[in-house]
Amino acid sequence: MSVTADDSWLRGAILGLLILVVLAPVFGWAADAVGYAEPLENAAEATGATDAATSILPALFAGYSLPGLGGPLSTLLSAAIGTALTLGVAVGTGRLLEQ
Amino acid sequence: MHIPDGFLDPLIAGLFWLGAVGAIGIAVRRARGELGDDRTPLLGVVAAGIFAAQMLNWPIPGGTSAHFVGGAFAGILLGPSLGVLAMTAVVTIQALVFGDGGIIALGGNLFAMAVVNVVVGYGLFRAVRGVHETGAAFLAGWGAITVSALAVGLGLGGSGAFAYELGVTVPIMVGGHAVLGLIEGAITAGVYHYIATARPKLVIGRGGDDALSPEVGV
Repeated sequence: MSVTADDSWLRGAILGLLILVVLAPVFGWAADAVGYAEPLENAAEATGATDAATSILPALFAGYSLPGLGGPLSTLLSAAIGTALTLGVAVGTGRLLEQ
Repeated sequence: MHIPDGFLDPLIAGLFWLGAVGAIGIAVRRARGELGDDRTPLLGVVAAGIFAAQMLNWPIPGGTSAHFVGGAFAGILLGPSLGVLAMTAVVTIQALVFGDGGIIALGGNLFAMAVVNVVVGYGLFRAVRGVHETGAAFLAGWGAITVSALAVGLGLGGSGAFAYELGVTVPIMVGGHAVLGLIEGAITAGVYHYIATARPKLVIGRGGDDALSPEVGV
């Protein structure tokens, strides 16, 4: 990624991203420990919709885990891949629109 | 907040797509004049940071958990057009690469998280920041997630899988996220306050005009 202006903020920002990525498996473990349930899942349960959920296009890293790999390492790598990919896609889109 | 496939009626899913594509189209057109300089890397970092932050599920004793959504934060920091673009990147990658949210339902997820969450958050912030800036960021984070939850609750309750029980889906979505939104608001306000203090020139959404030239600092 080429940076034109003062890049001191960018170094701090990248460090911040790395910290968030490293935290992902920790939070994943903690959320599992209390049982993960969002309001959307509660609404589905209350109306009997839960079983209607389908997956029409299997995602490469479905459920934020890597094929053949489980546990915290899988979550960590998913977080790293997803964060890097989002950074690349957003900067790429921005660069395209700049022109 | 991510709707999987199979939950929305085709009509509802189509309406969500229309709303999302229309709004994202406007954002793309307006973004052309706003990018450049520090702003393109900032767009990337904010999008990537929101992706990473969304992976952090807050464990809440009692069996509930949720994660930061971040649309209001993106809107405040980047302004509405770039905020919509950042969230569009996040929500699309979540659906296509990680199966978080469906493909047919992607229109609904984009509408709720990349459009409503950003625009409502930005609007609330702009309306209240004259009174108290950090307080306005809190209100934006809290209010925007609650309105996004209302949009999702209406879409679910208008669908057959949820037996058209709007009276059940809307209160659960809005009530649940109004409570969880307090954390969203606190994070939005905390991170906004930090950035606005440490790096005020990075706060694009604070500018008086959406079409500020990239050179204009705040």
